[in-house]
Amino acid sequence: MAGKSPKPTKIVSLIGKWALILFFAFYTLFPLLWLLITSLKTNAEYFENPFSLPAVWQFSNYLNAFQQANLGQMIFNSITVAIVSTFANVMIAAMAAYAISRFVFKGKEIIFALISAGIMVPLNAMMVPYFTIFSKLNLLDSLNSLRILYTAIGLPISIFIVRGFLDDFPVEIEEAAYIDGCGFFGRFFKIILPLIKTGLVTAATFQFITCWNEFVYANLLTSSPSTKTIQIGIRFFTNQFTTDFVSMYAAIIIAIVPSIAGYILFQEKVMSGLTSGAVKG
Amino acid sequence: MKVRKNDRITILLFLAPAMLLFCLFFIVPIISVCYMSFFKWNGISDAEFIGIKNYLTIFSDNVFMRSIKNNIIWAFSACFIQVPLALLMALVLSTKPRFWKFFRTIYFLPQVISGIAIAMLWSAVYNSEYGLLNGLLKAIGLEELTKNWLGNPSTAFICVLVYGLLYIGYFMVIMMAGITGVDENYYEAARIDGANRLQMDIYITIPLIRYSIATCMTFAAVFGLRTFEQVYLLTNGGPANRTSVVVLYLYSQMSNNNYGGANASSVMLILTGAFVIVFIRRLFAEQKDRGENNGRKKS
Repeated sequence: MAGKSPKPTKIVSLIGKWALILFFAFYTLFPLLWLLITSLKTNAEYFENPFSLPAVWQFSNYLNAFQQANLGQMIFNSITVAIVSTFANVMIAAMAAYAISRFVFKGKEIIFALISAGIMVPLNAMMVPYFTIFSKLNLLDSLNSLRILYTAIGLPISIFIVRGFLDDFPVEIEEAAYIDGCGFFGRFFKIILPLIKTGLVTAATFQFITCWNEFVYANLLTSSPSTKTIQIGIRFFTNQFTTDFVSMYAAIIIAIVPSIAGYILFQEKVMSGLTSGAVKG
Repeated sequence: MKVRKNDRITILLFLAPAMLLFCLFFIVPIISVCYMSFFKWNGISDAEFIGIKNYLTIFSDNVFMRSIKNNIIWAFSACFIQVPLALLMALVLSTKPRFWKFFRTIYFLPQVISGIAIAMLWSAVYNSEYGLLNGLLKAIGLEELTKNWLGNPSTAFICVLVYGLLYIGYFMVIMMAGITGVDENYYEAARIDGANRLQMDIYITIPLIRYSIATCMTFAAVFGLRTFEQVYLLTNGGPANRTSVVVLYLYSQMSNNNYGGANASSVMLILTGAFVIVFIRRLFAEQKDRGENNGRKKS
């Protein structure tokens, strides 16, 4: 090989390969970068030329977005909803997955198959029943409806992920603890939860991102300003007859930065969490 | 570990919260959607049994037919455009070119951003006056190609389709995981026989990861059927319901207090989804029997 010049076909395929790689990277990144830069321009600059760089970086757009749409309240709502439902979801999922993974009882594989099938249910088609349930529970226009709903609809995937991790751990560790007189609860909290930390974090990452990004049901179940989440909040600018494009772009950036930051920090976990339903199933 | 007598109650206790929520938010709603689709109901007064009338109404509604047709086109385009492209990119990135991890990170990025934010960004891309796309076209001197992308019936549909390509990173990551699982010995043997990269991809990699491909197709179809946010925000079904989808139709039925019609369209969506999943499983089932564990690393 050494010293030989590469064959022409090699060169063509190399060019083709990099053309593809760069094209898709451009396709994904360029609109985002453009959004970021535009969010720091004035409206006049934007209308003048959508590609120019701002003469002065207008960080005040972000302040504007915050004040006009009351984003602070909405971010706070989104955070509390996401934290509560992530925590509840992962705890409930871990408990169920533990019972299913560790014990032999009648119908457990049927239960698991049924729950796993829930991953494929088109939840957007459930608008009428979910709306009815929460109106019966008198929880419409309350953040608690979102907390309960998100906890519930994330269960199939979380149970699926956590069970996968549990099945990978040998039962012997628990047997030893059992012989040492450690009870069911003790085994679960002291031994199991620390052992499957990776699985819990994977499920939690997935759940958190889903809650943070959820739009359809936040839109359906809440209406007053005090119960809006950030994904509803950024639509403020499309509802109003506003021409304040740059503030809208700033609001979009504010809404996506937490997801992107989380993604960069926990990249591998996010990827395996989001795809694990597909990879293992 | 077998059930010990005193554990039985604890197991029930551990399963109970999950089962309760699962019943309340999965099983009961599905049953109620099916059952209530036979009733005329405005959400407030008593429901009135009307048999299959809701179905007859939606089937004779052009907007519904258009919507379900769009959903099916969406699902197919996801299966046969997005998945093959994702496969291509998975094969390319699996050769581990320079910075491949960086590119994988980027391709997956749209997956973590909220659908609504991306839809808003892309409606800015397509904006006729100040949009990125028209701006780009002007900048490279193709001003005559600029148009009102989303307001134009002939381009609106394609715009929403093209936008879907943002999501190939998801399928790519799934298939890359499949490719990593292929036994290196196969390539070794093929190399000795003088096979080139393309031949190895076609005759070794693709057949061995067909299970991953099938999974991707299932998910692509399901995502295609679920489509809501991007259409709601990009075009709101317009122009003239050209880009409407079932979930959007369902949403508008609900806003008009026609809960029966909404439920009937939900049922159609669930049935179409189930049908598509079974169809793809069948399509790949026979190969799965032959291909499973064949040439896969023991994990």
